[in-house]
Amino acid sequence: MSASAIFVLDLKGKVLICRNYKGDVDMAEIDHFMSLLMQHEEEGLICPVMAHGNVHFMWIKHSNLYLVATTNKNSNASLVYSFLYKLVEVFTEYFKELEEESIQDNFVVVYELLDELMDFGFPQTTDSKILQEYITQEGAKLEVAKTKVPTTVTNAVSWRSEGIKYKKNEVFIDVIESINSLDVTVNANGSVMSSDIVGSIKLKTMLSGMPELRLGLNDRVLFALTGRDKGKTVVMEDVKFHQCVRLSRFESDRTISFIPPDGESELMSYRINTHVKPLIWIESVIEKFSHSRVEIMVKAKGQFKKQSVANNVEVRVPVPSDADSPKFKTSTGHAKYVPEKNLVVWTIKSFPGGKEFLMRAHFGLPSVENDEAEGKPPITVKFEIPYFTVSGIQVRYMKIIEKSGYQALPWVRYITQSGDYQLRTNV
Amino acid sequence: MPYIGSEDTVRDLRRVLSNPNVQSDQLRYRNTILKVIRAMSQGVDVSGLFSEMVKACATVDIVQKKLVYVFLCSYATLNPELSLLVINTLRKDCQDPNPMVRSLALRNMTNLRLPSLVEYVEQPLTAGLRDRAACVRRVAVLGWAKLHNLQTNSEIDAAVVNELYSLLRDPDPVVMVNCLRALEEILREEGGVAINKPITHHLLNRLKECDIWGQCEVLRILQRYRPQSEDELFNILSLLDVSLISPHPPVMAATLSLFLSLCSGLPAVGLAALERVRGPLLAACGNTSREMQFTALCHIQLLLRSLPGLMGEHYKRFFCGYAEPAYIKQRKIEVLVELVNDDNVAILLDELRGYCTDVNISTAHAAISAIGRIGRSYSDKCLEILTELLGLKQEHITSAVVQTMRDLVWVCPQCSRTVCSAVEGCEAEIQDSQGRHALLWLLGVYGEQVSSVPYTLEVFIDGVRSEASVGVKMELLTATVRLFLCRPAETQDMLGRLLHYCIEEETNMCVSDQALLYYRLLHCGIEETRKVLQCRRSDPSLGVLIGRPAEPINQWSYIFNTLEPLRPGAIETESATIGGSPEHMTFDPKPNNDLSDTLSYSFGKTVRSGESEHVQCPTIFRCSPQSLQAAMQLVNIQTLAFTPPHTLPWRVYLYTNTQNKHSADTCHGTLILGELLYTGEEIQKKSKDEENVGVEARQDKREEEREEDTAEGRSEKERVKKNTAEKGIKVTLKQQPRDEKALKGFLSVLTTVLHALSSE
Repeated sequence: MSASAIFVLDLKGKVLICRNYKGDVDMAEIDHFMSLLMQHEEEGLICPVMAHGNVHFMWIKHSNLYLVATTNKNSNASLVYSFLYKLVEVFTEYFKELEEESIQDNFVVVYELLDELMDFGFPQTTDSKILQEYITQEGAKLEVAKTKVPTTVTNAVSWRSEGIKYKKNEVFIDVIESINSLDVTVNANGSVMSSDIVGSIKLKTMLSGMPELRLGLNDRVLFALTGRDKGKTVVMEDVKFHQCVRLSRFESDRTISFIPPDGESELMSYRINTHVKPLIWIESVIEKFSHSRVEIMVKAKGQFKKQSVANNVEVRVPVPSDADSPKFKTSTGHAKYVPEKNLVVWTIKSFPGGKEFLMRAHFGLPSVENDEAEGKPPITVKFEIPYFTVSGIQVRYMKIIEKSGYQALPWVRYITQSGDYQLRTNV
Repeated sequence: MPYIGSEDTVRDLRRVLSNPNVQSDQLRYRNTILKVIRAMSQGVDVSGLFSEMVKACATVDIVQKKLVYVFLCSYATLNPELSLLVINTLRKDCQDPNPMVRSLALRNMTNLRLPSLVEYVEQPLTAGLRDRAACVRRVAVLGWAKLHNLQTNSEIDAAVVNELYSLLRDPDPVVMVNCLRALEEILREEGGVAINKPITHHLLNRLKECDIWGQCEVLRILQRYRPQSEDELFNILSLLDVSLISPHPPVMAATLSLFLSLCSGLPAVGLAALERVRGPLLAACGNTSREMQFTALCHIQLLLRSLPGLMGEHYKRFFCGYAEPAYIKQRKIEVLVELVNDDNVAILLDELRGYCTDVNISTAHAAISAIGRIGRSYSDKCLEILTELLGLKQEHITSAVVQTMRDLVWVCPQCSRTVCSAVEGCEAEIQDSQGRHALLWLLGVYGEQVSSVPYTLEVFIDGVRSEASVGVKMELLTATVRLFLCRPAETQDMLGRLLHYCIEEETNMCVSDQALLYYRLLHCGIEETRKVLQCRRSDPSLGVLIGRPAEPINQWSYIFNTLEPLRPGAIETESATIGGSPEHMTFDPKPNNDLSDTLSYSFGKTVRSGESEHVQCPTIFRCSPQSLQAAMQLVNIQTLAFTPPHTLPWRVYLYTNTQNKHSADTCHGTLILGELLYTGEEIQKKSKDEENVGVEARQDKREEEREEDTAEGRSEKERVKKNTAEKGIKVTLKQQPRDEKALKGFLSVLTTVLHALSSE
């Protein structure tokens, strides 16, 4: 691992806060960071690793901050990046938003956190809930801090403290799937280049005591294991669990059993790599008549069940940066020109499955051509379909067992969202 | 950092800090200290407040303590004497009933980084190792590593080392992992922590208790273990199988790295492990973090070197998204090239074509040269795309396409006709020197196939005065002379003008020397000139180099999961090892190093003054240049020039640019220039240790030949024997920067190649 020092810089390259862990790299080396970055940027070759002499900078950018780790060893790159992202995660949990202002407002906590997170260049305690024990500053506004956190030394369940009480025992389960896809119009019908579904199951637990929960999904591996073979099942890849899930049980018989943390948490995430029909299919014709006008025709088609409705659909169509005098005609919803982003945003509040809508746009072009090179940005689509999952994943049951034997209600909600959903244009 | 009014700030703060009223009011005292820390973070030099802050250290308020420690650790090195005052407080804190206070004191005591304080720190550290709170032990263990780091040359305390070894059995996993880390640091001279069978099994059993950082550390250190039996090996492997498909990329990579080192003797198992990580690696490529994606891509490139077919059917996962940064796109393009097969070539080329018009110029160039490389196997389709790209009339695209075509034509001479008709008339769009350089080479070599060449060259010659690039001028000279050889009538006049200008007016030595050379050559007659300048067309035997052979895993396993694969150019791609023709090797467009300059300007001087060794493999000079070149390129040595075979004295000039792979601490490359000289005379002087290798090899060889030759005539055999006994190749090497290890390595590689070739 060996990160020698960690820096947090603002966009101008000024050090906001830093921590020297090993003392084997001169702290002044960071002054070269910004000039190197600028130099790379000019050449169009920005790279997450930069070298100055035998010092290497590994950096990530988060909102208006750079987080930089320096090293003079041939250290493990993926581990360093993981750690930097862990920093972002922990800071965000403490300050809600991680940005220049929150760092400046909370610099004492940042010092404390940096002190506990890493020692001598090696990550130590990175779990934010355990970290709370060590952080003394009251300025740290961690929401969950209300409940007293148990000491990790004595308690086996570090993520839940004893003696929690609720009048009404409930647990809310959200199954959220987002689709990332990259489509291209090879011919009229188009083909999906790549798509994957990233799903996550989130919990909001309001349960008393130390409940034991068991979650049943229509997991294909489980069904094959138990010999059942009815109904739709899903194959999940890269399943990641919250630390509360007993991994050994899952590995042996695919049972997801756990004592949940109190309040909100992400129980698990998974990825499904199947070819799905694009839920909202876009056909576009963009005709550019140089020096005079651009004609855009976009057809959107909902390719999901008729019973379902997509909400807040937004189709973002790129237009040339020098376009002017927009005119729109839509069969439903309304279109708006966003000149600062060079986009036409077509919003449809509710979009039932199986329906097809049309939007036409007309732009004027100046007679003097803009000779700046412009890329071909894709059309992006945003949407949300409630009560529906693309993968067909289902919560079959949620068993809640507690010593006191109270009755608790599980509530399940499904939602499908667009992730990075792009369709290339034919211009 | 200059800060307006910083002196006032410090004065004010000092006044408040030393005010007894403030000191007695805990809240006000704390707030004042907070102000000091804030000023420190903003870059104000508050080191003058050191003594006041030392006083503030003695408090029961943990919040205040922490703040003061932050301050003290930042300024301790500036005030070693005053820091001595803190030690007392810190040592008292180490006795505190609160484990948090104890660990805090211990950590900061070791963070002061003052060698003078070492004697005071040792005792609390020893006590810390036996503390009942895990968090104190964690700190104490690493504390020893920090102490050792402060005075690396001091004696290693055996008792401490023993204690650390015994703490590997600590119930707290972080203490265990920290012990490993500390021992690695302390015992670095002895090669790190000793890993034996019980330790290995203990660590493996507790792997699951560790967090991902700890797991990675353990897995890395276990790489040094060598299982005693095959049974044990396979037990370990099956135990690690779960981690191999871990959803955490760092754990997965660390496990794979361990697999590869454990199975270094069993290549089949290693390859199976690579297959197994395909899923997790692909998942890592879809990671939400770009940096992790980038890391995964770089490592996939490594894997592909040994298992080219690994990702074949998943090529769509490497298509670029619009908003992806250039560094990811370029790596993806490099990966895509490796994945081409008959089934996906059409889709792949279509996709790559889309990238050629990318807004980022270097991405566009990467895509264009990727198409060129695919063109070595699928030339028709690729040439079609490249020609189409010329039609876009975009300056930088045209230049990149011409360079790509030049490289392609060298490997696939059959494309020359298409290329010639395509490049005709694109000279107006090329502005940069590398593009014009490539164009001139093409025009010179294929002058007879393009009707308009004389007119094009004339434009160049008329503008030679304003030409800035030396490379372009030299290429222009060569191209014009070549054209003169095949179309004398049209070219004679302009050649005369060009030579006149270059000899009389040109200030650059290289250009005027070359012009003089051609001038004198032409004096010797057309036939002589033709002999020298006749372009060496590529040999079909180069074809064997196109499909790169799968490398054994241990070629790259030692850099797997480090920083190395992320460095630009760290992974030798095909285009780097086998560029275009060796003729333009000297001016090979490599943007990030000035190799070409070093070569062309310092060659004459350097070679002769360098170190010389002798390698005994005299039959080498009968070997054809092509096979020599091919063999050298396989081991990443580039040949610059050579005399024809069977001539005496026989010479070869070569160079290599090595990456330093031996030490983990430095990542610098070194450039080695070499001359092989075979004069046919006996060598009198023998030098240095490497000579022994040469002698041994020579004797082996003599015996070998003796045996082989028994079937042949006696006289023949004696002649050979006499030859081998007396003659050898003189190797002269020059290196910059100096790196003894790399030089030795290079020499041994070179010797092996020469022996292998001469025994063929």
